[in-house]
Amino acid sequence: MQGNPERCYELEIPAKAQYVSLARLLASSIARSMLFPEEDVDDLKVAVSEMCTNAIVHSGNGTADKPPILVRYFAGEDYLRVEVSDRGPGFDIGCVLSRERTDLLEKGRGIPLIQCLVDEFRCDSQPGSGTVVTVVKYLRPRPAPE
Amino acid sequence: MMEKERAESGLEVTVEELGDISLIGLSGEVDVYTAPKLKDAINSLVEKGRYHIVVDLEKVVFLDSTGLGVLVGGLKKVKSHRGELGIICNQERILRVFRITGLTKVFPVYRTREELPAKEREKQDAG
Repeated sequence: MQGNPERCYELEIPAKAQYVSLARLLASSIARSMLFPEEDVDDLKVAVSEMCTNAIVHSGNGTADKPPILVRYFAGEDYLRVEVSDRGPGFDIGCVLSRERTDLLEKGRGIPLIQCLVDEFRCDSQPGSGTVVTVVKYLRPRPAPE
Repeated sequence: MMEKERAESGLEVTVEELGDISLIGLSGEVDVYTAPKLKDAINSLVEKGRYHIVVDLEKVVFLDSTGLGVLVGGLKKVKSHRGELGIICNQERILRVFRITGLTKVFPVYRTREELPAKEREKQDAG
């Protein structure tokens, strides 16, 4: 017996900062319709915001005629997977993750923050090509009423 | 055009003087689009020689690492003048982001305005 099929929602936004809130709004609407707890909805909003911010910053933040950012939401029976793709120059994810952190750095908290807020994180990026960042958050079973 | 965009940006910023402390009140969302407004407010206070700043996050409905970066940048600036930058926040959804990134150890965190250092509150009450 098969569960509900995965539903996919797509949002294409210009690579500009003012559109990040739109990607967050769609993430929270989909997560709420799937009955994610509010705390998990908040986590997803932050994760999607970080992913889109990175994509826009790496794409030049609207400084020139940059290709748009594609945000895809896959709603499964017990998970929400979000994929953010840009066609920026790409980067070496190993360098980002191994970077030394100090308390008073102004940048570099985005990816570690995403990793704490979601159940799965994946980044496919190489210098010279675009980047696809994927996160998954699982819907946990609610405790049975006593 | 720029002013109009700022007005529609989803973040309202107010500044209040409470004795030695400058209180920045935020209302709305702090992200890559709106965080420059907060940065401008902090920079403007530092330029005026106001190095004791508290940012009230009670009406903030969303904050991500871009907002954290601006606050850290502000903290570095005021610390270089022997000042301090703290936050007022009692919302778990916002505090969680500070906690995960280890920043609750870096910023003084007040749960309410009433928790601000006593001598400043006395000045506020007297005024």
